Amino acid sequence: MSFLFFAALFTFFLATALQFAGVAIKKERLTQTARIVFLGAFLLHTAFTVWRGIEAGRIPLANQFEFASGFAWATVIIGVVLYRRLRQEWIMTAAMPAAFLICSYAAFQPMEIKDLMPALRSAWFALHIGSAAFSYAAFAIAGGLGIGYLMRLKNGKTEEDAKLKQMDYSAYRLICLGFLLLTVVIFSGAIWAEQAWSSWWSWDPKETWALITWIFYAIYLHQRLRMKWQGKRTAWLAIIAVILVLFTFAGVNLLLPGLHSYAMAQ
Amino acid sequence: MKKVLSFFRSMRFGMILLILVMGLSLAGSLVPQREQAMTYVNAYGAQTATVLIALGVTDIFHTWVFYTLEGLLCLNLMLCSLLRFPKIQKAAEALQKKALETQPDHPLPAEQRETMEAFLTGRRFRRDIRPEGTLFFKNGIGFYGSFMTHLSILLILIFGSLVLMTPEILDETVMPGEALEMEDGTRISCLSFHILNAEGELDYASMLRAESADGTRSAEQEIRVNEPMRFLDYKIYQQTYGTAGAIRILNEENEAEDIQYLTEPCFLSIDGKNGVYFHALYPGFLQDEAGNYTLITSTAGGYLDPVYHIESISDGMSASVLAFPGETLHFGAISFTFLSPVEYPGLRIKRVSSALYSGLYFSFGLMVMALYLCFFAVPVCIKTNETGYAVCSPKNQQGLMIDLQALLEKKESDQT
Repeated sequence: MSFLFFAALFTFFLATALQFAGVAIKKERLTQTARIVFLGAFLLHTAFTVWRGIEAGRIPLANQFEFASGFAWATVIIGVVLYRRLRQEWIMTAAMPAAFLICSYAAFQPMEIKDLMPALRSAWFALHIGSAAFSYAAFAIAGGLGIGYLMRLKNGKTEEDAKLKQMDYSAYRLICLGFLLLTVVIFSGAIWAEQAWSSWWSWDPKETWALITWIFYAIYLHQRLRMKWQGKRTAWLAIIAVILVLFTFAGVNLLLPGLHSYAMAQ
Repeated sequence: MKKVLSFFRSMRFGMILLILVMGLSLAGSLVPQREQAMTYVNAYGAQTATVLIALGVTDIFHTWVFYTLEGLLCLNLMLCSLLRFPKIQKAAEALQKKALETQPDHPLPAEQRETMEAFLTGRRFRRDIRPEGTLFFKNGIGFYGSFMTHLSILLILIFGSLVLMTPEILDETVMPGEALEMEDGTRISCLSFHILNAEGELDYASMLRAESADGTRSAEQEIRVNEPMRFLDYKIYQQTYGTAGAIRILNEENEAEDIQYLTEPCFLSIDGKNGVYFHALYPGFLQDEAGNYTLITSTAGGYLDPVYHIESISDGMSASVLAFPGETLHFGAISFTFLSPVEYPGLRIKRVSSALYSGLYFSFGLMVMALYLCFFAVPVCIKTNETGYAVCSPKNQQGLMIDLQALLEKKESDQT
């Protein structure tokens, strides 16, 4: 059934290509088609996720492939919900490539289904990893909006442009959501770690990088809310922060072995 | 003094501290922590390793610099929380006052006023009719979000540090059927241990029995990786596991019998001269056609064909021997019978106040709630009168504005 995943991946690519083409040549019909294709990709991806969950007999978020796939799935959900609310094309322009790139990363990971190792058999598993997927997804789209913001600025728009203001505000709201969820990730992980490893904090590389990411977003929020930073500066911060998120997600597992190494080994 | 106090409670100081904590954490994650000095010499060379060790980078999270930063962060949070609190009530009153004084900047036709008021009431806005217009107020508790967030971080730092620093930790291996006695007389017995469960899945479960010193309280529980046992002030974790050799020693003269578990090389003898020197237990072996043995060292497949590597020492002569479970060696009246290997758990026994954990977990919950209030329960006050409506809030209310505009546009198109 992994063909469902690859079909979803291809459809994500198609949606992204149509979206970019539609935005580039300003054809609404193309972006409309892109949205339909994107929904189709989402349905395929959902079918694959459900199948994998049934096959594995658990929530399919236990290894790097499954988490990346869940991360992409959460990205689509957040993108679609935000689009339904704001009806702005730039949301899809950020969400579609994000979902495609994350899915592509997943495609390079080992896909076989393995039994859940004892350390992962916990009631905290779903909350900890599920909120991580949605938190990273919110940050990824916020980063995408940051890139979109800077590109529009480069194309001659000013910071006073209504769309740019809305983009900036949407990125901020997504970061609020992601930050709240990242806090849940860290705390649920701490409680789980206390049960499994007897210590709520061990300065494991994954924990440390989650903290670094959390602090970075805390700085972003303080600068935005108290120092009234907006526009270009916050867009740059959102982009840098996504690099930290991606390193916490993938880089730590690849480069810094620690207690979370089973994310690769599982 | 005022200037110093104002600096210590300032956001700028808080940001500097956060950046420094972030920088040290980054260094601490890139350089392996608490390793042997030789590990650093091998990885970075002698000179760099010396510098890293001297600077404390190899144990950065336990240096005075890191503790000082943590302390200063607590001070910053405490000062800014304390000083923020009195301002909260004033801010709530000021918002309503500001809303009353604000002139509506969005038109609200009379026929749509009822729709909007019904919408706001449906969204749980409280209505307050004043001479200047009708005020709709919501999320007053949101003013406390930022205060509660900072307070909860402070509490997490305090409780979290206490939880990490105060427990007495004991790592012990215990053979099934044996017991550990704590300093206060509490006994923790391992009744059984298994690696695989009935379905053949990895399980690592120990059946434990704990008993208080006076014998008045006792409990039994099967512990696993994520299911520690709590008994009195103790928390017992399934931490590691191992496989030990087992040997039954029988004195045929007086029928005395003893079982010894073998986890490391040792000499088993009654007279100190004759007996068995245990080298190691191997999980399996291969035998070629000539009868030569090759011992398997990998434990990945389990102990399928266990074999003991021993030295038989008798009358000053020694011989290297392989012994298999069930075999018996005789040394005069003493016999050594090799038994099947035994799986045993490694337990971590931690003694820590549950009040500290309750405090820490309460702080976690408080912070999640506080962040929700901060971001998703933003105080907002809407004034409506015959000239229109105005939205007042300490933060941007773009989402609400979109909803209001959509509502009014929908109403207008319905009427058309």
